Amino acid sequence: MHCAVKEKERAGVINPILTCQPCGAQYASIGIEDCIGIVHGGQGCVMFVRLLFSQHFKESFDIASSSLHEDGAVFGATHRVEEAVDVLLMRYPDVKVIPIITTCSTEVIGDDIDGVVLKLNNELLPEKYAGREVHLIPVHTPSFKGSMVSGYDVAVKDFVSYFAKKGEPNGKLNLITGWVNPGDVAALKHLLAQMQVEATVLFEIEDFDSPLMPSGREVSHGSTTIEDLRGTANALGTIALNRYEGGQTAEYLESEFEVPAIIGPTPIGIRNTDIFLQSVKKMTGKEIPQSLVRERGIAIDALTDLTHMFFADKKVAIYGNADLVIGLAEFCIDLEMKPVLLLLGDDNTKYPNDPRIKALEEKVDFNMEIIMNADLWELENRIKNEGLELDLILGHSKGRFVSIDNNIPMVRVGFPTYDRAGLYRHPVVGYQGAVWLAEQMANTLFTDMEYKKNKEWILNVW
Amino acid sequence: MKDKVEQLVDYIMKKCLWQFHSRSWDRERQNKEILTKTMQILCDEPVEKETPTDKCYWVDAVCLADAFKSRYAWLAAMDKVEIKLLMQKLKDRMDYLTVTGSLNEELNDPHY
Amino acid sequence: MPYHEFECSKCIPERKKHAVIKGPGEDLTSALPLGYLNTIPGSISERGCAYCGAKHVIGTPMKDVIHMSHGPVGCTYDTWQTKRYISDNDNFQLKYTYATDMKEKHVIFGAEKLLKQNIIEAFKAFPNIKRMTLYQTCASALIGDDINAIAQEVMDEMPEVDIFVCNSPGFGGPSQSGGHHKINIAWINQKVGNVEPKITSDYVINYVGEYNIQGDQEVMIDYFKRMGIQVLSTFTGNGSYDDLRAMHRAHLNVLECARSAEYICNELRVRYGTPRLDIDGFGFGPLSDSLRKVGLFFGIEDRAQAIIDEETARWKPELDWYKERLQGKKVCLWPGGSKLWHWAHVIHEEMGVEVVSVYTKFGHQGDMEKGISREVAKKLRVPYLNAHAYHNGPWKGYEGWVRFARDIYNAIYSPIHQLAFVDISKDEIATDTKFVTQKILSDGNVSEEVKSSNELREYTGKYDNLTTIREKTYPEYPLQKKLSVV
Repeated sequence: MHCAVKEKERAGVINPILTCQPCGAQYASIGIEDCIGIVHGGQGCVMFVRLLFSQHFKESFDIASSSLHEDGAVFGATHRVEEAVDVLLMRYPDVKVIPIITTCSTEVIGDDIDGVVLKLNNELLPEKYAGREVHLIPVHTPSFKGSMVSGYDVAVKDFVSYFAKKGEPNGKLNLITGWVNPGDVAALKHLLAQMQVEATVLFEIEDFDSPLMPSGREVSHGSTTIEDLRGTANALGTIALNRYEGGQTAEYLESEFEVPAIIGPTPIGIRNTDIFLQSVKKMTGKEIPQSLVRERGIAIDALTDLTHMFFADKKVAIYGNADLVIGLAEFCIDLEMKPVLLLLGDDNTKYPNDPRIKALEEKVDFNMEIIMNADLWELENRIKNEGLELDLILGHSKGRFVSIDNNIPMVRVGFPTYDRAGLYRHPVVGYQGAVWLAEQMANTLFTDMEYKKNKEWILNVW
Repeated sequence: MKDKVEQLVDYIMKKCLWQFHSRSWDRERQNKEILTKTMQILCDEPVEKETPTDKCYWVDAVCLADAFKSRYAWLAAMDKVEIKLLMQKLKDRMDYLTVTGSLNEELNDPHY
Repeated sequence: MPYHEFECSKCIPERKKHAVIKGPGEDLTSALPLGYLNTIPGSISERGCAYCGAKHVIGTPMKDVIHMSHGPVGCTYDTWQTKRYISDNDNFQLKYTYATDMKEKHVIFGAEKLLKQNIIEAFKAFPNIKRMTLYQTCASALIGDDINAIAQEVMDEMPEVDIFVCNSPGFGGPSQSGGHHKINIAWINQKVGNVEPKITSDYVINYVGEYNIQGDQEVMIDYFKRMGIQVLSTFTGNGSYDDLRAMHRAHLNVLECARSAEYICNELRVRYGTPRLDIDGFGFGPLSDSLRKVGLFFGIEDRAQAIIDEETARWKPELDWYKERLQGKKVCLWPGGSKLWHWAHVIHEEMGVEVVSVYTKFGHQGDMEKGISREVAKKLRVPYLNAHAYHNGPWKGYEGWVRFARDIYNAIYSPIHQLAFVDISKDEIATDTKFVTQKILSDGNVSEEVKSSNELREYTGKYDNLTTIREKTYPEYPLQKKLSVV
């Protein structure tokens, strides 16, 4: 009875869990006001990522392409970046921030985008756009390294390090949320509001869930400003909720501007939310108010109704972004469930030394496998060919057929979740997130019992 | 006559799938084969349709002739000489619109 | 000046030629927007890349195949589960996708060994699948891996498998269309003629340029089977790899989407003398014409006519129910490449709907020659339909066309759509209106005669109309002629 940390043995990927780095940089870019990224690569690298975002949010997001074509692949394509910046500035008079996001192709051909940015800063901007505030930020995200998770991490760091500027202390907290949904941001801001803490949230993405107003549809876009980014250097401290999605930015702010950093844990579940609030308290000196004690109590009450009766001993497999997977696993353990298989979708070499994974290795007293650099075949093959029995799967929509074809109920969580309605609106973090997640899991199990006629009568008297 | 040609052109443009092959030599051939066979049908002349290739043009011609007859009553009032002239002008116009006068820059690509 | 300059394009003079407004008295020779041009950098483009045009659009709908991309994981992930090309083998091609997962060290030292390992692993994971398509990506093209050589090596070592290689990196062409072309030509060069099929009918076709979006292919195949026609292969929706190696034995290539698949038809004509007949499964008129033409070609037009009569009698009253209620309504269509032009006409003719804007992301000029007769109208809140993926398809076939009309009707006459215009801070809110039904909305301007018609009726088909097709049996038409292939 132990927890084994392994790496996928196959060389290739059958049904990937994560996509490549540029997607992560693009996700970060849409969180910033007046920002449109240019992805330097083939058109598919943008078109499909925009499609992915619109599948998840049912909204459309603006990201541009340098549209690399044959000639550029042969002779270099930095001129296409120059042209792209010009076109974007002409067409979008409000755009101020333009990250230039590389891909595998433009990294392989060795286009010097840092050089291009320098050139544009010296020539095009003063000559044609004098007086206009424009920030060109090179973001290197070759697709053959890391994953969308590291791409997000890199981009957050690039944005912050570009803008952060020492000034007067602003008394605010930096909250780096990691790759989350609008519902998560709302839940986190609720917790901070209860503690009367002012924060700079990276990124303000609540408006991704945009309304259809009588006057027309509002555009979905993030609203973190350049001022917000500048001010990160002057904060009381930084809390990065996810180690691999913003963690290095917190470290950067600490080493560069002496802004104290706390990294993690991802506040999924009661315990991790408690720790988050303690961190906020420690950094700001603010007390945790009775309102949150009460909110927590309601959550605990809701969970108590479910744990021993329905969750106990249920075997769960979880896949997705590492921080999310680990957070969910810890929560499941508190709910008396047995997360028997954790699939981390990329090959980050830091995972084996992650204290949370170390703790699982030391403390877990049932059989658990943690697979690094995993794909969805690691899950499906175990179910189909190796006799793995599961009661529940937690993961995003790309794995939907594992659930469908093997008759295992699944709760959609993470990114993307396009095959369920409105999940981006609901938090998985905080006490609210704990209740939402637990009740989703319970209702999913209940529906499954009914479809399979598996002790469905039990609920007659619950 | 010009107005009649334009009516036929309009029908072809809106309805026919055979006219917009992607290379000029194919377009010329399609225009020639299908419109000639259509003319022959309209003039009750024998139509070559023994080979699969001819059969395929003939199929489109049959449908086109039927459509012309049912839509344009004035056709019935024309004699064969007039129909031949009309169809020749139609072909010339189609050649101009889809081949010689076309602004499509891909028509002369030597490969498929 | 017929070229239309959008407000947003004023700053980019060369973009002027991308859109036109056709004026009175002008014809195509005076105005044709440029298509298939390189995208202007900095555009927020809906265009994909040549890799997706090959792999995602044409390759992957093949159903009994491992579809593997040689490159980093993103190309594979991003094109996976973003289209509805289904199949009758439980959607194997939708469910599984394969990436060789190229990393930095492979970029530096080459990834051919990695590729070989991947191929062997994938066949091992799915022992019942013996066919593979292999796609180059930007990264593997740039580092110069010899994919063909590796594929051949594996085929030599594992004689039971067959691998098709498509070298169509993302940067190869202005849009997905470059990839359509490359995979067409690659398939006929590498695979056609490799397999001799069993001929079971006097009438043998390939159905080309059909991707079985939501079941379109199965709907159309049903008609062909009822006519006693053998469909040797479908390129490529719901199509089988080995069937597509036998394309050279068909008597006729029936071509649906010319934009993506005319190249292979043209080559089949040049190399094997197989004629190309362009058909169209959208709309009662075009579909009936198409079936009639195929019937005429084989001298079985009576069989075609029987189907046309039966299907029209069954579904026309339902189409007309919607037509009466859609007269003069405007919709915005976002089709794929080739359907631009005749959709607008057929929708107008058979449903009474005005199509106010057609727009193509990877069409060539040839498609717009067909399409520019209508002004580009810019109007917010015109109901929009994605003709690329469909709402509740299939939309091909007689029943399918009624489903399309029903989807348009549902898009236009939505009580929620009506509520969206209300500003509760300004408008007078009617307190006596608790709800409106769709019919209350749609029937306001419809005559009593139409409303009380016993003839017309709403769509009566099922949500899933494919299962019954898959379970069907067909009349037998014994072979008459001596087989040319033994």
